[in-house]
Amino acid sequence: MTRLAVLDAGTYYHHRTIYEDRYRDHFDRIIYTRELADADLSDIDVLLVSCRTDPSIMKPRKDQIAAFLASGKTVVAMGSTGHPEWLPGVYWTDTPTNFWWWLEGDEIGLKVAAPDHPLLRRLSLADFTWHYHGYFKVPEGAVSLVDVGDFGSIFYEDTVSTPGRMLITSLDPMYHHGSHFMPATTRFLDGFLPFLKEVHAPLRQGA
Amino acid sequence: MASCLFLKPIKGAGNDLPDVGDHVPDIDTIEHYALETVDLTPYRALCLPAHLDQRFFGTLTAKIERFLDGGGTLVFNGHVAWPMLPEFHTFQPLDRFNLDALQIYRLKEHPVFEGVATEELTYRRGVAGFYARGCNPPPEGAILLHGVGPDRLPCDWVYERPGGGRIFMHAGNDLWMYVGSQDTTARIAPQLCAWAAGSGEFQ
Repeated sequence: MTRLAVLDAGTYYHHRTIYEDRYRDHFDRIIYTRELADADLSDIDVLLVSCRTDPSIMKPRKDQIAAFLASGKTVVAMGSTGHPEWLPGVYWTDTPTNFWWWLEGDEIGLKVAAPDHPLLRRLSLADFTWHYHGYFKVPEGAVSLVDVGDFGSIFYEDTVSTPGRMLITSLDPMYHHGSHFMPATTRFLDGFLPFLKEVHAPLRQGA
Repeated sequence: MASCLFLKPIKGAGNDLPDVGDHVPDIDTIEHYALETVDLTPYRALCLPAHLDQRFFGTLTAKIERFLDGGGTLVFNGHVAWPMLPEFHTFQPLDRFNLDALQIYRLKEHPVFEGVATEELTYRRGVAGFYARGCNPPPEGAILLHGVGPDRLPCDWVYERPGGGRIFMHAGNDLWMYVGSQDTTARIAPQLCAWAAGSGEFQ
């Protein structure tokens, strides 16, 4: 069984998402973000960097993360974590947050880009659909699951930039679920966390 | 030296929030984890963001209690999840989030909310639910300011500690997120700072 560790940044919304009964059993280990430097990750297959984890704490952990990926393991980086500062090959474009797209009659412009991906068997496009904070340029060989228009991706999988696997998203479901806000974010976690427990690691041992 | 010290949210959060310093004079801001070393004695008030590392803040209880004992005012936003202060109790959410449940009611007038319409707390651009979705249960003796829903869960309260100092509690997003708004909620942040910077006596 895949062993999943999650970072806890100490906020109320991480507490609700990680420690309350709904998702607690998905997490084999909980690591307080400020204790990551001293954490032994050797028994972990997937490291989930929770949305809104402080990038100033992640940036000094760049080598630790790189070593984890080099051993063929999986890093999941959610939104507002400053991905490019501590992950290789991540290209981010910040945009004003479109909080009110649903009220202003705008199309949010999200579309499924990889309908056959296993995660899309658990989640529909509606479960990915709330405001986003920007988008990523997908490296060549990586796979976008959800695009925003023709601009870029809000969720992609990269198994080419490192020996491991990176799941990169701009979405921040823990913040909103943890704030008792926005049912789509709860639906997202309902599908996404079980999916992470199915990620087999090491991904490409010896590759 | 300003009167009110604002703690910045953890980085990675709060980039989409307005800068309160653009709208309210007489404040200082510090980085989140600088709270551990900053000298609080020159300040009348410490204002905490909802994006608070509560595990970190919970390690500073002795420092915060000294600040309160000295007559300081602590402004807390967000949901209480971790042990921090004895006056804090774990967030209690509403049991449903329909329109009726999300109504905000004024329980007592207070200088921070003077001239602020409760309708404009309940609704933001016609949508309910941004202001509060439950409460951090108050200690005995707290003055209840706003309640949410039919049961009037006390989402806002102020407490004068017997040992000195005051705690101003808001169980929701930062009260200063309304700075620069076009309605009466724009009054909150300047009134909060003026009140928090005032004397230790209840004003």
